[in-house]
Amino acid sequence: MLKKRLLRSERRHTPKAKSKGLYSRAIKQAFVKLDPRIAIKNPVMFLVWIGTIVTALVTINPELFGDIPDNNPRFFNGLITLILFVTLLFANFAEAFAEGRGKAQADALRATKTDTTARKILPDGSTSDVSSTSLKRGDQIKVIGGDIIPADGEVLGGMASVDESAITGESAPVLKQPGTDIASSVTGGTRILSDELLIRVTSDPGKGFIDRMIALVEGAERSKTPNEIALTVLLAVLTEVFLIVIATLPAIANYVNSPVSIAVLIALLVALIPTTIGGLLSAIGIAGMDRVAQFNVIATSGRAVEACGDINTLVLDKTGTITLGNRLADEFIPVNGHSLEQVAQIALVSSIFDETPEGRSIINLAEKLGAKVNFDPNTANGIEFSARTRMSGTDLTNGQEIRKGAVDAIKGFVRSRGGQIPSDLNNAYESISRLGGTPLAVCQGEEIYGVIYLKDIIKPGIKERFDQLRRMGIRTIMLTGDNQITASVIAQEAGVDDFIAEATPEDKIEVIRAEQAKGKLVAMTGDGTNDAPALAQANVGVAMNSGTQAAKEAANMVDLDSDPTKLIDIVTIGKQLLITRGALTTFSIANDIAKYFAIIPAMFASVGIGSLNIMGLASSQSAILSALIYNALIIPALIPLALKGIKFRPLTADQLLQRNIFIYGLGGVIAPFIAIKIIDLFVTAVGFV
Amino acid sequence: MTMQKSKLQFTPIKLHFSQQKIPIYFLTILGINLILSPLVQASTGGILSRGQSYALGLLGLVTVSLFVYLFVVIFQPERF
Repeated sequence: MLKKRLLRSERRHTPKAKSKGLYSRAIKQAFVKLDPRIAIKNPVMFLVWIGTIVTALVTINPELFGDIPDNNPRFFNGLITLILFVTLLFANFAEAFAEGRGKAQADALRATKTDTTARKILPDGSTSDVSSTSLKRGDQIKVIGGDIIPADGEVLGGMASVDESAITGESAPVLKQPGTDIASSVTGGTRILSDELLIRVTSDPGKGFIDRMIALVEGAERSKTPNEIALTVLLAVLTEVFLIVIATLPAIANYVNSPVSIAVLIALLVALIPTTIGGLLSAIGIAGMDRVAQFNVIATSGRAVEACGDINTLVLDKTGTITLGNRLADEFIPVNGHSLEQVAQIALVSSIFDETPEGRSIINLAEKLGAKVNFDPNTANGIEFSARTRMSGTDLTNGQEIRKGAVDAIKGFVRSRGGQIPSDLNNAYESISRLGGTPLAVCQGEEIYGVIYLKDIIKPGIKERFDQLRRMGIRTIMLTGDNQITASVIAQEAGVDDFIAEATPEDKIEVIRAEQAKGKLVAMTGDGTNDAPALAQANVGVAMNSGTQAAKEAANMVDLDSDPTKLIDIVTIGKQLLITRGALTTFSIANDIAKYFAIIPAMFASVGIGSLNIMGLASSQSAILSALIYNALIIPALIPLALKGIKFRPLTADQLLQRNIFIYGLGGVIAPFIAIKIIDLFVTAVGFV
Repeated sequence: MTMQKSKLQFTPIKLHFSQQKIPIYFLTILGINLILSPLVQASTGGILSRGQSYALGLLGLVTVSLFVYLFVVIFQPERF
């Protein structure tokens, strides 16, 4: 528990939205949203809007629609009008408040975006100072230490540290250099701290990463999600049914000689239609997007957040998600009769150009064992790791090729050079794999020297997270480039449901397609250009902010902290969003029972159904007012729950359904009986009726 | 003397009306009510005044409009 709290406190955020002025802006917006062109977008609340106009008219002229037998109808109608108007304002306030949080965050982001001067490189190689807003995709620019990077781009040359705190909140600078998948993308609005970079602009003006983030958190691109559309239809059907009931009621009332006024009919209609969920529906959706943004994740649409709630399968990379990203060299195991010192020397030379934490740890271990670089690194040629070759290394000037990489890849390399595979290689490989470590073979030309043991550390608490996911019915699949034995050991220790060893980037898309063919919804994370097709194929693709532009454009979410484990949190938020919407819908519809028992006996008291007044409400007028006041007050009472979301519990769908029906269904039936009775006592005591 | 071409741009009446749907709906409802309100007054046996029957007819038409509106929401929810 303490650890979880610590982790949460360590979490960084995008520039914080100022909460000052949030309430006053929401109150102002609540009135702006009374505009019928906006009100018509919400069918339930639009009926309340029309009802308010009609009751206002009968307040001005109580006999507008016929003679009224009641005493002082103007005051009673006026009270109904006022309550309906307040109901409308509360519903508008809930939506405006949820939107306001996003808008405030957008303002905070906009403040980080400044118009700067960029050094554009002209075709003749000279530079010209231009405004950052005039930069187009494909332009090449030069930025030097102290500059704000004017646009999103890909690093073509140079090496520099960049302060990305403007978008990630992370104060530690990030090294940017060309050629690598991870470190070659830069974001407009971030600041270069030292040295210089040559950048190719990858976005047109106004379409950069920060611009997209602003548009998203502001809700400019918000469209209704499939679930919201389905719920809107359900609410419209219920409203239609109640409208038919109320429209035909006067005929029945006249038949039983108990005529009902138009104001009372409207009060009954508003009490019966699901105003609680109608008023909170959009606020719940906006708050879901906001919760994802609070986690430093930018979702491209509410649809993506909602899809998270329906996810059945998680495809996870082992490194960085299940194990700590930086594997460290723990041991060198010589083979083929070579000495430990020889293996250390070859491992050192093979890693001299390797800037990854693994490569650095191999150098450290080799140096501890006395290995030294006995050549000029400037004359040698570094061979970069690629997912296809699965090895890296160094080509020396004397023609020697030194490589390190996956054991199979090195075996293939040695065979291609005419070498033999030593008999003790497999023993070393298997012993490391059984420990859950990653074996890397090292060779010089056609001769294998030994195996490096890279120790993998499983993230603490990850097994428990996977247990929770399993209980929620989510299947986890681990993808790793490791061999079968290592993968099975890690999979067992971490508690994933399935794994794919020696996976290539193409395997990711195959796994996703296979799961989708079974009717499952799949979520995955990725950062490299290779991941882009899989990110686009997945129902929820989360790209790391440190990843390439291609990955970020293919994904429907971008994690600013580049923490792959967060996928599990995002799925939790998606589930929470759906559960909150379901629970409040149940509560809203269950409320009808008490409101029905309050208003119907009041309306038809003269025809002998007074025994239905089980709450013992003082009078027909106080009963109607109490039901309407409850109807209005329940909206602001539920705003915190709608914005915060119902507390998430890792239960199965059946258990969740039972629990929510008990709390929000039964609670929704009982709570209004108590609340309406209390309001009735208050209304009578104050002397409103 | 050559005629100067007017710089004013006129919107065709048909296009203008197709862009202004809400006033057209209101006008239609008020027009229908001119036929409906005498029927309401006649069916109530003269209990209601002319103004009251006009208001009641209008309320009936607003209710029918709400029926139609809710049906549109049910069958074309993505528009809302």
